[in-house]
Amino acid sequence: MKKTVLVLVAMCMLILPTAIFANGQQEDGKILIGAAMSSFSDKGQTYLQDGVREFDAENDDVEVLMTDAKDDAAVQLNQIETLLVKGVDAIFIVPVDISALKPVFKKCKEDGVKVVIGNRMPAEELWGEFDVYTGSESIQAGILQAEWVAEAMQPEGGKVGIIMGPLGHEAARMRTEGNKQIFAKYDNIEIVMDAEGKWDRAKGMQIAENWIQSGANLDAVLCNNDEMAIGALLAAEGANLADDAIIIAGVDATPDALEYLGAGLDVTVFQNMNAQGYNGAIAAYKLAKGESVEKWDWIPFETVTPENMSEYK
Amino acid sequence: MSQQKILSRPSVGAFMSKYGIVVIFVGLCIILSIMSPVFLSMRNITNVIRQVSIIGIVSMGVTFAIITTGIDLSSGSMIALISVVVATLSQNAMNPDQPVSIVMPIAIAVAISLLLGIILGAVNGTLTAFGKIPPFIATLGMMTVARGAAALYTRGRPVGDLKETFTFIGTGSIFGIPLPIWIYLAMGILAHILLSKTKFGRHVFAIGGNEQAARICGINVEKTLVKVYAFAGFLTAVSAILLTARTSAGNPTYGLSYELDAIASTVIGGTSLSGGVGSIPFCVIGALIIGVLNNGMDLMGVNAYWQQIAKGVIIVAAVLIDARKQKRG
Amino acid sequence: MNTEYVLEMKGVSKSFPGVKALKGVDLAIKKGTVHALMGENGAGKSTLMKVLYGIHQPDEGEIIFKGEPYEVKSPIDALTIGVSMIPQEISPVPNLTVASNVFLGKEIISKRGLKLLNQKKMVIETQKLFDELGIDIDPSVMMSKISIANAQLVAIATAVSYNADLVVMDEPTSALTDKEIDKLYKIIRDLKEKKNIAVIYISHKLDEIFSICDEVSVIRDGEFIGSDSIENFDKERLINMMVGRTMDEFFHKEEAEIGDVVLDVKNLTLSKKFEDVSFTLRQGEVLGVAGLMGAGRTEVMEAIFGYRPAESGEIFIDGIKAEISEPSDAIRHGIAFVTEDRKQTGIFPDLSIKDNIIMPDIDAYLKNGLLNGKKIKENCQEQREAIAIKTPTLEQLIKNLSGGNQQKVLISRWLLTTPEVLILDEPTRGIDVGAKSEIHRLIGELAKMGKSIIMVSSEMPEILSMSDRVMVMFEGKCSGIISREEATQEKILQLATGEKLSL
Repeated sequence: MKKTVLVLVAMCMLILPTAIFANGQQEDGKILIGAAMSSFSDKGQTYLQDGVREFDAENDDVEVLMTDAKDDAAVQLNQIETLLVKGVDAIFIVPVDISALKPVFKKCKEDGVKVVIGNRMPAEELWGEFDVYTGSESIQAGILQAEWVAEAMQPEGGKVGIIMGPLGHEAARMRTEGNKQIFAKYDNIEIVMDAEGKWDRAKGMQIAENWIQSGANLDAVLCNNDEMAIGALLAAEGANLADDAIIIAGVDATPDALEYLGAGLDVTVFQNMNAQGYNGAIAAYKLAKGESVEKWDWIPFETVTPENMSEYK
Repeated sequence: MSQQKILSRPSVGAFMSKYGIVVIFVGLCIILSIMSPVFLSMRNITNVIRQVSIIGIVSMGVTFAIITTGIDLSSGSMIALISVVVATLSQNAMNPDQPVSIVMPIAIAVAISLLLGIILGAVNGTLTAFGKIPPFIATLGMMTVARGAAALYTRGRPVGDLKETFTFIGTGSIFGIPLPIWIYLAMGILAHILLSKTKFGRHVFAIGGNEQAARICGINVEKTLVKVYAFAGFLTAVSAILLTARTSAGNPTYGLSYELDAIASTVIGGTSLSGGVGSIPFCVIGALIIGVLNNGMDLMGVNAYWQQIAKGVIIVAAVLIDARKQKRG
Repeated sequence: MNTEYVLEMKGVSKSFPGVKALKGVDLAIKKGTVHALMGENGAGKSTLMKVLYGIHQPDEGEIIFKGEPYEVKSPIDALTIGVSMIPQEISPVPNLTVASNVFLGKEIISKRGLKLLNQKKMVIETQKLFDELGIDIDPSVMMSKISIANAQLVAIATAVSYNADLVVMDEPTSALTDKEIDKLYKIIRDLKEKKNIAVIYISHKLDEIFSICDEVSVIRDGEFIGSDSIENFDKERLINMMVGRTMDEFFHKEEAEIGDVVLDVKNLTLSKKFEDVSFTLRQGEVLGVAGLMGAGRTEVMEAIFGYRPAESGEIFIDGIKAEISEPSDAIRHGIAFVTEDRKQTGIFPDLSIKDNIIMPDIDAYLKNGLLNGKKIKENCQEQREAIAIKTPTLEQLIKNLSGGNQQKVLISRWLLTTPEVLILDEPTRGIDVGAKSEIHRLIGELAKMGKSIIMVSSEMPEILSMSDRVMVMFEGKCSGIISREEATQEKILQLATGEKLSL
């Protein structure tokens, strides 16, 4: 009997503070935001995370708890559960796996925590489950990339190859899809090669080398990301191809890629990861304070060429 | 009695059992040269060997480990770690955005990186030999630690802006033959001599063939194992330097699942996972089989999804043929 | 007639490649009796029992069990029909309960629900069985928590739990103390008196045979020698039946000049293996080491060689104390060791004959850090001719050679280290007669050349014909050292079975 009473008292003591500050305030008055990131070791993602950190540093009344799911959906779910236990007021999620979000939404709903999804778009049937999406549409990157390349190839047209990210990866699939949609509109452009470069520079280089050897005489190589595009341009360099003999296009506009822009790389597409992170954090902050926020926060892609690259450095 | 008969009368079976994998390799080359006319061009051949060199060098170290009945799962992650380390030491100028950035002569940067590989390998070996941890687990631990350390060291970002004297290692040529091929050749000769012509090599075979008998023969099993993994670490470092120089950057994401490709090359090359059997020339053939497959399918523009399926099937088929011959032999 | 015997084996023969292990053995076991099966190491007892237990199929012969033809293809068949066996080294599963061990392979499963194990019922059944046999062990306790002696009793209970009519016990007392042995005897008596179970009792200890057995059968060299009631035996007669062999067929060692003491072993001890072993070895001498399996002979040799060093004691070589903590030390001191088990501790199966030979002395073949192929070839070729290794080429993988030739390669390996002391542990085990006599001749020659040789052997004739002196071990201790002149089979067997010398 004594024991039961003790346990009850202990539980009350645990619940009480949470109950008092449940309206979105920490003991010290700070708003607590969870940021469940997909991976700290994916370079593109680190820019997004920097955006979140920037926001954290600029605002004194916010504390951001950031977690690294190491690209593992199960780990991310655990981390989100932990964040909820810690009593976050809103949560900003960059999902590892957009098809594994259902349980996440359910947990958040149970705890009444607002959800911001960033960077990776959940499937349409889940659109009612979260509060804000901040990000870009992957297919747009492929469209912008292919539009620029297709224009540059006119009037002769020619043959193109696509080096893809990991097969089955959402961004890889959609970017390639965007490429294909555009090229389908041009009768004089044909996609003759595709291969999986796994986002990897060395792998992209190897594929491009082989294509150059094959005598297929590609006029353009489109890569799903910049690292593979750098690989491709290194391969072209190694084969002593003239700079204007082949168009090489990437996506992401990483600092490395900007170095090569105009020196082998012809175009890349800037996905403003930093803005995605920053805006995602703002959205979570506003939701936590009870303010209303626009549901769709589109961060547009931007085509980056040697002409306008100075804006992105 | 029957064995002696087989020996005195060289048969097709005996030949296949020794050189089966070479026959498979040659067959593959013939098929590919029919399907793609450029396959046998000099340029494509150097191309293939250069591409193979990175996994090829790693797989020679793995061969040593597997002969002792061990394994090395850490090579891919060690490539990532060493690639970022050597990159930060070989930059044109200090980069204030990076946690570590030191400008120093290339020779010293390379030496430090090789030493790092040897040390990491020796840690693997020590855990296995003296810690009595199965090598699968010891190197699995190293795999995770090295990957994490690589990401930590550069905050997850690639390291570029490397000196040309450094990138020359991966991009330059001597007598018209790319430097990576020379280095692959040199490492191959070194590993082959070590394995087949030295006391160390005999001890490696002895430990893999029968550890207890090796002890009875006065062989220091623990010391030999540490040396084996240290040598594997050294080769991994050579590979990492080549990859970094070739791609003009170090990156903590490099080398993902390279360890599996290296193990596949080794096993295709006839090294028995139960230890005691293996050779460097055959390990090179194993690596070439994988390289030629990748190259051939890219040349022919095989669809990316089919490439993966074809690769898996051919790897298993090659080993299956090898296993059948083992049973007969 | 048929009702008197539970088991009759008639003319059972079994051959393995190169060896005829059983040559028409007869064995008849009466119901409810304890029947001793006697014979030296390698006489064929184990093979006979493996045939009975369905592990080996006999080539010839007839087996009748409870009046019916007995055809078993596996131990499971044997158990079902009513024959169970307790091996010499029992291997219980330590992390299961005693009850689970007893019911291993015949677990009781709940009739309803998920068909899970019915632990409770197994414990109850085990308790019933233990009560019946007078065993006092808690069936629900973990196997790892009980003593070896109790584990032995659990093994007996397990064997009985199959409703066996015949139980084979192979050296059941090897791990037991005298008190525990008394308990075992009581259980065995209960088995035969209360349950009418027959027991085949294999042991080397003569005392035990006379205290517990009703009948004795003796086999020797795979042949049935005789069977009789225990009252008609005394120890002399039993030993005579076990050894009674003519010596003519064996090679006799040539006389070699015996010189100074080369190896002096003092008070060598390794707990639970051997205790206080001391002996000397002179130049040109062959010291035979006899004893039963498990007497600690191999362990002593391993200790001298530094493979499993002794805890205490001293080794002197040429009068100087030698520190030997690993095999390389021993090799440096001029000791060579041809081990007992070629597969386990001898050959490198996937390496060539050459590589197998050079392994312990590889430094001798280095030239500028690389192996000198020419020298390797010359030395190996010399050895091959000197001791007639039969192989088409030295590149041949050793696993493709016959046992005798493998043994010769291993002897070559150690001769090339130019040892002073050569330890040969069971040098002729499992090899054919021709190679055997060649190896015997070689041992004689080596002694003549002034090498000192320790030859551990379980074959009495080999010991008697080759040794200048014989050291006999019993249960980890040296039970006596006798000279060539004094040595007889009877004396050695007496010492090896823990008897006092009668003469």
